[in-house]
Amino acid sequence: MRGSLILYAALAAVGCATGEVPDDGDTDTVVDPGPEPTFDGAFTPGPATLRRLTADQYRHAMRDLLGDVVLPSALEPDVAVDGLIAVGQSRTSISQRGVEQYETAAFDAARQALADATTRASLVPCEAAGPVDDVCAADALEPFAQRAWRRPVASDELQRLVDVTATAGGVLGSFDDGLVYGLATVLQSPSFLFREEVGVRGDDGVLRYTGVELASRLSFLLWDTLPDDALMASALDGTLTTDDGLAAQTARMLADPRARDGVLARFDDVYQLYELPKLSKDPFVFEHMSATLGSAAREQTLRDLGWLIFDQDADFRTLLTTRSTHLDPELASVYGVQAPSRDGFALAELPADDERRGLLGQISFLALHAHPTTTSATRRGRFIREALLCQEIPDPPAGVNTSIPEADASAPTLRDRLKSHLENPSCAACHLITDPVGLAFEQFDGLGRWRTTEAGTTIDPSGDVDGTAFGGAAELGEVLAADPAMPDCVVWELYTATMGRTPEIGEADLLAFLQKDFAWSGYRIQHLLAAIIASPGFRELGAPEESP
Amino acid sequence: MSRTPRTSRRAVLRGLLAGSAVTVGLPWLETFAGRGNAWAVDDAFPRRFGLFYWGNGNLPDRWIPSQTGFGDDWALSEQLAPLASVKEQLTVVTGLDVKVPNVGPHLSGIVGMLTGMTPPDGEDDGGYPGPTLDRWLAQRIGGTTRFRSIEAGAGSDGRSYEGAHQQSPAENSPYALYQRLFGAGFFEPGEEPIIDPTWALRRSVLDAVAADADRMKTRVSADDRQRLQQHLDGVRELELRLARLEDDPPDLASCRRPDAPLADYPDLDGRPQLREKNRVISQLLAMACACDQVRVVSNWFSSPVSDLLYPGATMGHHQLTHDEPGDQAQVHQIVIQIMQSFADMIEAFRAIPEGDGTLLDHMVILGTSDVSLGRTHSIEDYPILLAGSAGGRFHTNQHVRSSGGESVSKVNLSIIRAMGLSEPAWGTNDNRVTDGLTAIET
Repeated sequence: MRGSLILYAALAAVGCATGEVPDDGDTDTVVDPGPEPTFDGAFTPGPATLRRLTADQYRHAMRDLLGDVVLPSALEPDVAVDGLIAVGQSRTSISQRGVEQYETAAFDAARQALADATTRASLVPCEAAGPVDDVCAADALEPFAQRAWRRPVASDELQRLVDVTATAGGVLGSFDDGLVYGLATVLQSPSFLFREEVGVRGDDGVLRYTGVELASRLSFLLWDTLPDDALMASALDGTLTTDDGLAAQTARMLADPRARDGVLARFDDVYQLYELPKLSKDPFVFEHMSATLGSAAREQTLRDLGWLIFDQDADFRTLLTTRSTHLDPELASVYGVQAPSRDGFALAELPADDERRGLLGQISFLALHAHPTTTSATRRGRFIREALLCQEIPDPPAGVNTSIPEADASAPTLRDRLKSHLENPSCAACHLITDPVGLAFEQFDGLGRWRTTEAGTTIDPSGDVDGTAFGGAAELGEVLAADPAMPDCVVWELYTATMGRTPEIGEADLLAFLQKDFAWSGYRIQHLLAAIIASPGFRELGAPEESP
Repeated sequence: MSRTPRTSRRAVLRGLLAGSAVTVGLPWLETFAGRGNAWAVDDAFPRRFGLFYWGNGNLPDRWIPSQTGFGDDWALSEQLAPLASVKEQLTVVTGLDVKVPNVGPHLSGIVGMLTGMTPPDGEDDGGYPGPTLDRWLAQRIGGTTRFRSIEAGAGSDGRSYEGAHQQSPAENSPYALYQRLFGAGFFEPGEEPIIDPTWALRRSVLDAVAADADRMKTRVSADDRQRLQQHLDGVRELELRLARLEDDPPDLASCRRPDAPLADYPDLDGRPQLREKNRVISQLLAMACACDQVRVVSNWFSSPVSDLLYPGATMGHHQLTHDEPGDQAQVHQIVIQIMQSFADMIEAFRAIPEGDGTLLDHMVILGTSDVSLGRTHSIEDYPILLAGSAGGRFHTNQHVRSSGGESVSKVNLSIIRAMGLSEPAWGTNDNRVTDGLTAIET
């Protein structure tokens, strides 16, 4: 599901530094890791991508351009391909309905912006001489289009925008009404809706992203929106294409509060948290289910990630072992702990003897990867294998009877019933990979509430993962966090999200280096992102592929 | 009632645009000139295609009617019983197989059934190798109406594809669907159409947008050019629609602007209101056809692998197909509920008079799924239902059972030909056919 097997094989051969996972936020115990590794492997850049903005990126960009405008909730939907929306961005297009939605949104937002005196003043730097004023229109449209399109605007392009504005201004008898059409043209253009990054070939024959393309890559990766003026300036004056210039902007942007939005958007994608607002659970089975619970769970996980990555800049592997988490009263009641705050979210510390730890103790995992009325060891196991360890689980073969026995006295627990998966050879091949891991979480019901029995029988959460035994969910978290596959997988996923496509074989050495460097840094995500950005993977590209 | 003649409306438009420096020229529109709203000479009414799609299949033992034949010769099966009120307009086809490798559960069936082609390897759920039947037909018979096609559905984002990852997502909100079909730009028969000068201005915007897409196409890979082309097609389609707004409004006798649906259909007891939403969506789609706003409509009731909770069910639908033991009483009840909703859709089209008959008589609705028996992901003995006679080209009130392991593509080729298209073949490899299913054709 997540990319080529060939590359997995290549990556699996690379050993990574490993060791004890430190306790929460406790990075003092890390011994001196020595000098930072440098990349000296082989590298062949992968192909360019043409990414469509995600719905969120579109909304962020519109607000950057037009202020606090009201945007329609219905936009062309994001689609995950190979498990990631970031890859789907490079594979999907815009449907007929999507064209209509973008058109409506563009006109609505442009009208709102020009009706707001402050926003209008920032967009229109001149006094129009009448309904048609091509000079003033150009003065307004050129900087607007440059910001929206993230590149300088060619003169024929500007002329087209001015012409549209003039026609509309003449017909409608108002400069502002005409300008709405010019702005709406900018906002419906593929130059805004898609990220065109095609590079330019250097004197050394290497195809590299241009400065403005790098600016776009940086800002959508780290901020999930358009470049700001400072970033654009460094692109246009040539600084950004230098090693030092790129590093300086990366550091500035990571230190900016907007980095939280952007980086968390990558993890929202990687851990499929965007599915949570649609969480469907049977309220007759789960009395704690509510219309807001899924969104609250997403917020919990994102806050935890933001705290770990930005506030603590801590070892990312503690995501699976930490007892610290952000809770609101509703979540606290599901988890059966005291709410840390009377309303809203606050940081809480789960009890030390609790099996509930980290991401795998959250509704974002326990409920999302379960059924509407029951748990699912298979789904939970599959998420761990695929999203946390980057392993591939094939779909069940066709023509196999997939039913499991009914719950009765002879098979009261899911573990008993799933034995049939493991006894049938055509099922066992995959279910041996998923089910034993997933069964560790059977002490959490389909919503994530703690329980110790199922149908009156005590639940056994123990098992082993690839030969390492665990007693329950908390121990499994420790085992997974200490597995080099876990941090390696995060590197793979963030690299994929950065590139908008699954890595190619020519990037295998670079990935291995990034994994080694991630370990060297003490598994710090900010360091990893900076390393990806500094690497040739972020800066070089292959020529566009032609059809065979 | 007075309707301003077309020429004078154009003159009004020219007047409004007079004085502006730039004319709004759309030379590409000339290719559509003369096609107008005229129907083929041999048909009093346009031919339409409808799709009703649900996920997770059926229980074949309780689905397949025990007798074959016409009229009273055959009776509906247990699972088809909800279609009793529309049996006279129904044809049940059983015994056909999706003849592609069953490599992806819930994917091979839908890809093989709707595209005729071999599904992609692996788990690329959106990797459709070619257009689904609805989109294929839309490209051929959808070009003269305001909308080339409409995709909607109570419980699914749809699987209408042009090709790999080129999806036309289904509208889930009845209210949004209503706005799109009957909001601004729709005029009832007899209504004085208001020529809005902004239509031409919006077209000039879209022209500029298209110019940017054309420029970008020269700079990207072949695959990305195709993606931009889809975007460009959408832009052109919208331009065309704006041009069509200035054409004659609908004048089909039964065309009315329907009542606006509710803004929201919240879940009841944790279950989506699938039946009610589907009923409203069906009525909107039917009226859109009655007003000749569109000729290809896809109603995606639920998705492949849908795990929706149904009233009375103790688990999600997909989980039940795998985990419910024995004779799967709950799965059975869900299939019955889905068939009730299919009957609601057929009735919505049948409720609209057209000529001497009804709208349903001038179309065919294909009802199908992603598997037959969900428990094993079988794609043999595939569920296929047809409603409507496509203008007298199909028999109705019939159960046809093929015993020869023939391909489902035969039904698709019959449908294509019933839509007036002389297509020599449908499908690839073992799933390719050069003849329709003659037993259903008149």
